[in-house]
Amino acid sequence: MPRSTLWPRLTALPLMLALPIMPACLHFDTLDEPITIETHARDWRDEVIYQVLVDRFHDGNDGNNSLLDRENMARYHGGDWRGLEDKLDYIEELGVTTLWISPVVKNIETDANVDGYHGYWAVDLTRPNAHFGDLDELRSLVRAAHDRDMLVVIDIVTNHMGQLFFYDMNLNGVPDIQLSGTGARPQGSPVPDGFDQSGFTHLTEYDPDFNPIGIQAFTSLGPAGPAPIIFPYNAATGHITPAPAIFARAETYNRKGRTFNYDDPQQLLMGDFPGGLKDVDTTRYDVKVAMVDAYARWIELSDADGFRIDTVKHVEREFWRYFTQRVRQRLDKQGKKKFFMFGEAFDGNDALVGQFTKNDPPTPEELAVYAKEKDPGPTITGDQLDSAFYFPQHYQAFRDVMLDAQSTDRIATLWGNKATNYGTVPPALSAGVVPYKALVNFMDNHDVARFLYWAAQNPKDNSAGRQRALLHNALLLLFTAQGIPCLYYGTELEFRGGNDPSNREDMWRPLPYLGETKAPPAYDTTGPTFQFVKKLTTLRSTYAALRRADAKVIYSTAHTGDESDAGILAFERSGGDSNNYALIVLNTNQSHASSTKFEATTMATSAPPGAALVDVLDGKNTAYTVAGDGTLDLSLAPVTGMLLVPKQDLK
Amino acid sequence: MRRDNRRVPGLHLPRLPGVVLLGGLLAAPLAASAAQAPAPTAAPPRSSTPSSSTPSSSTPSDPGPDDPSLPQAADEPATVETTAPAPEPLTRPTPPADTLPKAVVDEPSTPASEPPPPADGPKDPNQPPGYADGFHFGSYGRVIAGGDATGRPGRDADIVARGSRLDESNYAELELRREDYWKKTGAYTRIVATAAFANPFFHYNGQFAAAVALRNLYIEETGLGAKGLSIWAGSRMYRGDDIYLLNFWPLDNLNTIGGGLGYAFGDGQRTSIRVHAGLNQPTDPYYRQSVMRSPAHNQFGDTEVRLLDRQKLISSAKLTHLWPLSGTGGVKGIVYGEFHYVPGGQREVEDKLYEDVPKDAGFVAGGQLTLFTGERSTYLTATGRFAYGLAAYGEFNAPRQLRPDRKTTGAYEMMLTLSGNWERGPFAVMAGGYYRQFRNASKSLDFDDVNEGIIIARPTVWFGEKAGLSLEGSFQAQQRGVTFESAPGVFKPVLGTVGRAGIIPFVTPGGRGHFQRPHIYLMYVFTARDSAARSLYASDDVYARRKIDHLIGVGAEWWFGSTSYFRD
Repeated sequence: MPRSTLWPRLTALPLMLALPIMPACLHFDTLDEPITIETHARDWRDEVIYQVLVDRFHDGNDGNNSLLDRENMARYHGGDWRGLEDKLDYIEELGVTTLWISPVVKNIETDANVDGYHGYWAVDLTRPNAHFGDLDELRSLVRAAHDRDMLVVIDIVTNHMGQLFFYDMNLNGVPDIQLSGTGARPQGSPVPDGFDQSGFTHLTEYDPDFNPIGIQAFTSLGPAGPAPIIFPYNAATGHITPAPAIFARAETYNRKGRTFNYDDPQQLLMGDFPGGLKDVDTTRYDVKVAMVDAYARWIELSDADGFRIDTVKHVEREFWRYFTQRVRQRLDKQGKKKFFMFGEAFDGNDALVGQFTKNDPPTPEELAVYAKEKDPGPTITGDQLDSAFYFPQHYQAFRDVMLDAQSTDRIATLWGNKATNYGTVPPALSAGVVPYKALVNFMDNHDVARFLYWAAQNPKDNSAGRQRALLHNALLLLFTAQGIPCLYYGTELEFRGGNDPSNREDMWRPLPYLGETKAPPAYDTTGPTFQFVKKLTTLRSTYAALRRADAKVIYSTAHTGDESDAGILAFERSGGDSNNYALIVLNTNQSHASSTKFEATTMATSAPPGAALVDVLDGKNTAYTVAGDGTLDLSLAPVTGMLLVPKQDLK
Repeated sequence: MRRDNRRVPGLHLPRLPGVVLLGGLLAAPLAASAAQAPAPTAAPPRSSTPSSSTPSSSTPSDPGPDDPSLPQAADEPATVETTAPAPEPLTRPTPPADTLPKAVVDEPSTPASEPPPPADGPKDPNQPPGYADGFHFGSYGRVIAGGDATGRPGRDADIVARGSRLDESNYAELELRREDYWKKTGAYTRIVATAAFANPFFHYNGQFAAAVALRNLYIEETGLGAKGLSIWAGSRMYRGDDIYLLNFWPLDNLNTIGGGLGYAFGDGQRTSIRVHAGLNQPTDPYYRQSVMRSPAHNQFGDTEVRLLDRQKLISSAKLTHLWPLSGTGGVKGIVYGEFHYVPGGQREVEDKLYEDVPKDAGFVAGGQLTLFTGERSTYLTATGRFAYGLAAYGEFNAPRQLRPDRKTTGAYEMMLTLSGNWERGPFAVMAGGYYRQFRNASKSLDFDDVNEGIIIARPTVWFGEKAGLSLEGSFQAQQRGVTFESAPGVFKPVLGTVGRAGIIPFVTPGGRGHFQRPHIYLMYVFTARDSAARSLYASDDVYARRKIDHLIGVGAEWWFGSTSYFRD
C-alpha cells in the first residue's frame, strides 16, 4: 500500500484507541443500581421464619471460598449469600416466609483453631463478611427474597465483639496461655472450682476470669494495677483494627474478664462472653450511638426487614431502650416501617427473657446523659424490643413435654404468664404487634442440640418411627402455637446433630432419613418431614386463626402415667385479630392413647354445640362433632396430634 | 477469597546510582513516601512469564543476509520485533540448491553460508544469520537502576494488567542456537536453548543466586519431507506480534512443552498455517496434590504419592495470509484459535476422604489485521480475542472463582487492541492500547471481575543517528466488580484511573528507529493516581497514599541475534 494511502488510516489511531475505554464500556450492571429501602413487612405474625446458618446452607460463589475445611465443623464450609439466593426455590416450597441469616459483618477469621463461620465474632461492623459475599450479593439476596414476598432478618450482636485483644496481665507484651491441673477429676464428682470438664484449668490472658475491679496485672513484685489490653494485629487471622474506630479504644470495653457466674448481675452485664469475646460497655453514650449507626446502616444498605439480636440479657436495658428507639426512628424516616427486632436470651427464666419486651421507662440519670450529650431525636421512652426468642418455651414445652413427656400443664402455665412476663403494648414505630402475642417460637437452633438428637436418646422407644412422630408432633405445636414459628434449617431434612457445632450441618450433605440407609439428594423436597412442614405452613397460611388469633389452653393435665388423659394438650386459636377458629389437640404421651376426658371431666370447647370440626391433618378430613354441652371427647394415639377447623371454614 | 497473583512481579530497581545520578538532573519536586507493599494483583494474565521476553517477529525469517529481498538496515529496523511485518514470505523458504552450502556433509554441517562481513566493520548484530551456519548467540536484556523520589526501589505503578514497559523489572535472555543443513534429506535443523534471568541480579542483592528459567529448548526441522513444511518439538515460547510499549502479546503467547507443525503454501508462501499442541502443569493444587503414604511392603517412613496429577493440554492453530500492496506495503491477516483442556481427577480433602475434581475445557478465538508500509516499521495492527472457560485464565494460571461445580463455565476474557508505529526522518510515534473485560466463573461480581483499558503513546525525535529523546504518555482505567461508598449511602463500582508521563533521552549506536537497539537511556516517569486507584492497594502501601509518584532511572535495553527476531 502506498504510504500516502496508508497514512490517513494511521492518523485515526488516537481516536480508535480512545473508543475502547469510554465510560459506557466500564459498566457493571447490578453494582450501579441505587440503594433504596421501603416497608415490605405486613403483620409479622403471618411470617414463618427460617433460620439459616449461611456458611452451611449452600455455596453459590467459589470466589469467596477462602481457607475452607469442610470436614471440620468448626471451620468455614463455604456457604454464602449467593448460595442462599440460589436455593430460594427450595425455601419457598417449604412455605417459610422470612429468612433469618447469620450476622453479616466482618469477623475474626480464625481463633484457637475455630473460625468465625457463624458470624458472631465481629471485628469490623462497617464491612461485610467476605466469606458470605459482598454488599452487592447481600442486596441481591434481600431483593430476591422480597420478589418472592419473603422478608429477611439479619442477626446482630451488640453485647460483645470478637476476641480482639488480650489482657497483658504479666506486662510482658505478649499473650500468655498456660494449662494447669492434673488432667483428671474424680469421677462422679462436681467439677472443682476453676476446672473445666477436662480436669484442666486454662489460664489465659485472652480470657481470664471475671474480676469486678477489672482484670489486674501482676508482676513478681506483686499487684501492678489494671492490666493493659493489647489489640494484636494479624491480617491472616482477621485480627485487624476494629471498626468503627470507637471499637479500637480500650475504654469502649468493660475489661473485667470472662463471665463464669451468670447469676451475678455484674458478671452477666459486664463480663466477657466465654471464648474471649470482649464485652462492650453498652452503658456509654458513644457506644450506643455507634451501635445504632453501624447496624441501622446495614438495613439502609440492604433493605432487610428486621434484626434478631444476640445475647440481649448481657446488655443493660437502657441500651435496648436507646438502640431500638433510635433504629426505628431512623429507619421510619426513610420509609422502612414495621421493622422487627427480637432478642435472644439463652435462658429458661421467663421473666428474664420477657423483660426486654416490656415498656420500661428510663431513669432520670439516663435521660440526663442524653440531655448532656445533646442527643438528637425524641426523648427516650420505655419502649424496647418487639419480641423475644422464646427460650423458656424451648425448655418447658419442647424439651420437657414434647420430648420427655412431662405434664402438659406446664405449657398451660407458661403460656398463661405471657401477658405478665412480656410486653403488652407495641413500641412506638415498631412492627405494631403486642410483644407477648408475637414471640418467636422455636424447637431448636444453632446453640442447642437438634430436637432429633434428643429424640434418639429416648429410653423407651428410639425407633425411627417414634423419633419422627415426636418431631412431627413438636412441629405441629411449633406451627400452631401463638406467635411466630421459627424453623432451624435442616429440620425438614431430619438433621439430628448434637450440640454446637454438631448441630451446624451442611445442607448439601444430607443424612439418610430416619430409618433409611441412603441419603436423599441434597435439598430434597420429597422427604416425609419436608412434606409435613410444607403441609403445616400451608395450613397456617390458609387459616388465619393459626396466625392472628389469640390462644387459650382448654385442656392440659398433670398426668403422665396411665391416666386416660395423660399427655393431652389442647388449645384453641380464636378471637384476637381473626374471626376464625382452630383447635389443636396433642397427645404427648409416648406410651398409650389418651383422650380429652378424665373421669367425669370432658374437654370443654368454645365451639358452638353441634359444630363439626374437621381434622385437616389426618389426610381424610375426619369430622368430629361438638357435643350439646360444648364438650368434645377426642382420642389420640400416642405422639399424635389433630388440627381441627370448623367444617364451614374448610378450604 | 483466594487470589492468584497474575501480574508480573513489580519492578525493583537498584536504588543507586540511578537516583543519585538523575536526582541532580531533575528539578521537579519529589513526593514523599512511606512503607512499601506489593502491587495489586490484576486479573488475568496475558503472559504467565515473569517478565517480557524477547519481542517476537511476525515476519518470516529470511534465507540469509545475502538475500536481495531483505529490507536493508538503513530503511528497516534491524530487528523485526514488532508487529511490523516485512513484505517477505511468511515462512522461511527452502534455499534453492545453488545457494546451499558447498561443503555439505552427511553429518550436521558447520556454517556454510556465513554472511560476508560488512565492508565497514562487523556485521549488523540484528541481521538474520544464514542457515546451516553453526552456532549462534542471541540475547535480549533490559537492566534498569532507579527508584522513586524517596529512594525506594522502582516499582510497577500500573493498575491495569499491561501497562508501560518503562517500569518493567530487570530481565535477560541468553540464547544459544545451532543450525545445520542435512545433505541427505535436504532439511534444516535448528536447536534453540534460551536461558532467561529475572530480577534480582547479583549486583543488586549480593546473593550468589539467580531466578533462571529455560524458556526455549526445542528442535525445529524445516523442509523435511516437503517444501514449506516445518516440524518442531520441545519446550518453546510460542507467540506472535507484540505491543512493544506494553510489553504484551495480545493475540497469542503460549508457553508449553509439546510440538507443532507449520506449512507455507505455494511458492510465494503468503499463506501459512501453524498448529501446535503442548502440555503444562502450573504449580498449583488445582493440578497437583501430593500426600504422604506408608511405603510399600511394610518399609519404614513415608513416601510421597501424587493423588492429583493432571496436566493442561493446550493446542493452537494459526492461519496467516499476506496481501502485498503496492510498493513494500501490505496487509497481514491472522485467524487464531486455542483449545484448552484439563482432565478430571481426584484429591484428598481430609485424611482418606476424597473428592472428584471435574474435567474442564475452554477455547480462544481471535484475529489480527495488520497494515504495513514496509518502510521503517510503520504499521497499524488491530486484534480481537475472546477466551472462554478454562482458556480465559491464561495458560499458566489455575482457575479461581469457579462455579459451584468447580468448573470454569462462564468465565471469559474479551480483548480488543490497537497498536502502531510511524517513522519519518528524525521523527516517530509509537502507540498502543487495549480494552479488556474479564469475568471469572463465579456468577457474582467480585474483585477479580475487571473492565480495563489503556492508551499509550511514545513520540520520539532523533538528534542525528546516535541519540534521541522519547516522551511517553499513557492513561489507564480499571474498574473492578466491587463497590465503594463514594458518598454516604452511594455505592459505585471502583473505577481507578492513572495517568503517566515520561521523558526518555537515549543514545543508540544503531541509528534511528523505534525498534533499533541497543539503547542506553535515562528516564523520568511521572505517575498520578486518583483515589479509586489508590483504593486498589492495601492499607499502608505507599501507593494507597500517594497521589503522585516519580520514577527516575538509568537503563539499557538490547536485543540481537535471537531466534524470535528472525525465525518464525
